[in-house]
Amino acid sequence: MTTAINLIQALLLILGAPLVGGIIGKIKAWMQRRQGASIWRPYFEIAKLFRKGDLVPPSASWVFHFAPKVLFGTSVCAVAFVPVLQPSALLAFRGDFFLFVYLLALGRFFLSLGALDGGSAFGGMGASRDALVSTLAEAPFLLGLAAVSILAVHADIAGMVTWTLQQDVLKISAVHILAFTSLAMVVLAETGRMPVDNPTTHLELTMIHEGMVLEYSGPSLALVEWASAIKLHVMLALLISLFGPWGMASTVSLWGLGTAVLLYLAKVAVLAILLALVESVVAKLRMYLVPDFLGVAAAVSALAVIFTTLVKR
Amino acid sequence: MGLVAIATGKFLSSFSVFLFLTVLLMVVARRISTSVLLFSLQSAIITAEVFATGVRERLPAAYVVGALVLLIKVIAIPLVFFRLVDGLKTPRDVKASTTPTQSVFIAGAMIYLSYAAVHSFGQTVHVPEDALAAAVALILTGSFLMVSRKKALMQMLGLLVLENGIFLAALLTTFGMPLVIEIGIFFDILVGLLLMGIFTFRIRDTFDHLDVTKLRRLRG
Amino acid sequence: MILLLPLIFALLGAVFVLGFRDHRAATRAALAIGALEIASLGALVWQVHSNGTQQIGRYLRADGLSSFFLMNIAFIFGLVLVYSSGYLRHHIPEGRFSSPRWFYALVFLFLFTMISVCLSANLGLLWIMMEGTTLASALLVGFYNTEGAVEAGWKYLIVCTVGIAFALFGTIVLYLAAVQAGVNPAAALDWVALMDAVPRMSFDPHLVKLAFVFVIVGYGTKIGFVPMHSWLPDAHAEAPTPISALLSAVLLNCAMYAVMRYDAIVSRATGPGFPHTLLLIFGLLSMVVAGLLILVQRNLKRLLAYSSVEHMGIIAIGLGLGGPLGLFGALLHTFNHSVAKSLLFFGAGNVRHNFGTLRMDGISGMSRTLPQTSAALVVGSLAIVGLPPFGLFISEFAILSEAFGQARFLVVALVLVMLSVVFGGFAYHLLRLLGGEPSGVPSSSKLIPSEYTVMGVAALCLLAFGARIPHLFGVLLQEAIAVMR
Repeated sequence: MTTAINLIQALLLILGAPLVGGIIGKIKAWMQRRQGASIWRPYFEIAKLFRKGDLVPPSASWVFHFAPKVLFGTSVCAVAFVPVLQPSALLAFRGDFFLFVYLLALGRFFLSLGALDGGSAFGGMGASRDALVSTLAEAPFLLGLAAVSILAVHADIAGMVTWTLQQDVLKISAVHILAFTSLAMVVLAETGRMPVDNPTTHLELTMIHEGMVLEYSGPSLALVEWASAIKLHVMLALLISLFGPWGMASTVSLWGLGTAVLLYLAKVAVLAILLALVESVVAKLRMYLVPDFLGVAAAVSALAVIFTTLVKR
Repeated sequence: MGLVAIATGKFLSSFSVFLFLTVLLMVVARRISTSVLLFSLQSAIITAEVFATGVRERLPAAYVVGALVLLIKVIAIPLVFFRLVDGLKTPRDVKASTTPTQSVFIAGAMIYLSYAAVHSFGQTVHVPEDALAAAVALILTGSFLMVSRKKALMQMLGLLVLENGIFLAALLTTFGMPLVIEIGIFFDILVGLLLMGIFTFRIRDTFDHLDVTKLRRLRG
Repeated sequence: MILLLPLIFALLGAVFVLGFRDHRAATRAALAIGALEIASLGALVWQVHSNGTQQIGRYLRADGLSSFFLMNIAFIFGLVLVYSSGYLRHHIPEGRFSSPRWFYALVFLFLFTMISVCLSANLGLLWIMMEGTTLASALLVGFYNTEGAVEAGWKYLIVCTVGIAFALFGTIVLYLAAVQAGVNPAAALDWVALMDAVPRMSFDPHLVKLAFVFVIVGYGTKIGFVPMHSWLPDAHAEAPTPISALLSAVLLNCAMYAVMRYDAIVSRATGPGFPHTLLLIFGLLSMVVAGLLILVQRNLKRLLAYSSVEHMGIIAIGLGLGGPLGLFGALLHTFNHSVAKSLLFFGAGNVRHNFGTLRMDGISGMSRTLPQTSAALVVGSLAIVGLPPFGLFISEFAILSEAFGQARFLVVALVLVMLSVVFGGFAYHLLRLLGGEPSGVPSSSKLIPSEYTVMGVAALCLLAFGARIPHLFGVLLQEAIAVMR
């Protein structure tokens, strides 16, 4: 039964991903006093792309074809580690958060390769920028997760969530605040959101993620877009489960699961609104300031780890 | 009342974490207005702490002090700062002498130091260690801001953060001093700020800039 | 009631003098109120002497120590006020002085805060008024609208406010220690209550020591201890001359008064070892650094400012040594130094007025061009380096005797070496100023009556105190010492 629910969690993460993107887009449109596209539009977008054909640049090799599939595959695998409805996941073993981080990194790596393989200038530029951002974001990502892991005494994400569930809601710990801040900044960087990257830009010189994706079309593009959406969703789910998991079903009952689903949807909505707000309010950082931004994230997460020695909780 | 007491008690020990966050954000802020907003937020957290103390210790004087902090530090002083920034027509950046990453690490070192300092004194005073460490961290951050920011306005802000830290330390350890003394202290801070404001205008008029590192005519 | 009179006169004077737009009328009003002020201070001192400690309400008290410092304030204030009347008359035609009524108003406000410091019974009120002195004098320091004055005023305001914030922390820690030891919170900042409670109740020694460290760093910033002295040369040099005199002669003493109050409490609580060691360290450091810097000064007023730092160091050494002679020497030195420093600043003011600059390398042969001012400077310098027959010799001798008596030979050696260094420095600078061919053109070489009267009085006072301390003064001094024990 637990496994079934874990499977449902994973499917929820995978299938609900485009919806999260749609909600964020809608809220951003409202903030700009527009109606905005429907929140279900990303689904139609992906479906439309699957119906179309692939246009491949003449200079592309097998890497160009292979990359979107790797990206999608790693994102789906990463989904398996994150608990959503109950404090357990499809896959959980000691140190699985390392694997989580590097699965996402692997996907990103292949996307960069594919972009380079596409042969366009913007692909190369996007890939090099993305390499910088991804390198710098790796440290705070790992350190933030490590800080939570040290505090929770468990080294697997599911275990960390279980530990957090047992803690007092009101006793917010310094480590968690710091880890949350740095992980939030990492989420912005890794998923290509403002202020690091503008996902809605049409100016190629300002693109990072979008630049890498420029040459793709048809099903490949569908896979890439979906994978990005899954990445955003899974990272938001990670934030929720690590820092605010209360409400997860402790027992396998319809009532418990129902409330867990509703609470999860509410939390995702809150995070989506916050993300949309941040995106609408903050201006995109110039490229030479992005290392500062991520440096701050790294320092905050390093602090979080150092704090675990001070906090006796 | 029991639930409220428990909630305020827990709040007392967790609010300090948010103060650490304001400390970290303040050292990386790049505009004066951002720093001022963070200061306002900091003072708001401290106001909540004052009121929580008043509720918990049943001290009516604490409400008066809390109202004063709210009026002066959360509302009035930031408004004065915004007016100053507008009136001085100075570039709005903070002109830090350290990069944001360096600043965050220094802030982290200061937070660690404050914990270490509080740890050695934690036995004699019965206060939550986190909160007192937050107070000491505010003091250290205020000093750091004064030293590392080249704008005169930022020096004033650093001074205010320093006073915030001292006020918080006083609040935590002594639950506030006699009311007359508190009011006198507030009055002093206000007049001090007024004078500093006057001086920033005079600096701008005499030197045509607000960079205090360039005030080095008098040396030796 | 008589306790309140000086405060009332000072405050009312500040407001009253603002009503006079004509500068001559303002000066006359200021002189009148000043006379009333000094009279009331004298009456208060006499009252305390004959009837013991006076107190009004919970916050104001005058005992032997306060009346000693009040007497100091009264005397120097009198000199400064008389000097200002002439000073303004010189400077207003030059256009450097924007507003004499504001000047006098601020001076009276400044005086009000300093008197309140000496009359505070409550350590919290002491802090508030000490911060008040910074605020009241900041505008006075930056009174001229020159670049130097604005920079000096800003530095003064910032550095002293930060320092005093640390002193606030120290005050809070002492309050905490008192409340934890069981003192009634309403009385835990009252000096007499604390002096009373400290031997009876057990104060946590760590907290008390921590409090003193912060207090000495905080108020030490206002005193001008090295390394917190960075504001002092700038502020004392760029301020108008009467203000420089007030700052050097009176304000530094008030800050020292505050430290003395804390020293008394802390010595009773943890034994005199810790606070006195700190005082000795700061005193010696100040003496050494200031003494060495005196050698390389190029601005006359900055030279005098560093001399103030050095002498505050000497006073701190006297306090740090403790003992009957140490305390006697320190207190006597506060008075002697203030008179000598005022004399020197008045002379420097005249130099500036006549030569248009305070830079010493542009001036020489002053003994021929400005004989009276030169005489004043010579007398003042001889006094300030501690030569007999002037008063500072007696106080420094007392401090050195105490050091000898306690077998602190390192202290004695350092003090003697630095005194010689300072003597050499002053001799060098003064000889360059006075000797040689007259250069730099004095615009007018007459001293006006107000100026030379004041300088004459100061010089005579120094001589008199060098010969023999007036009986009444001696009695007041003894009462002050008694308070500290």
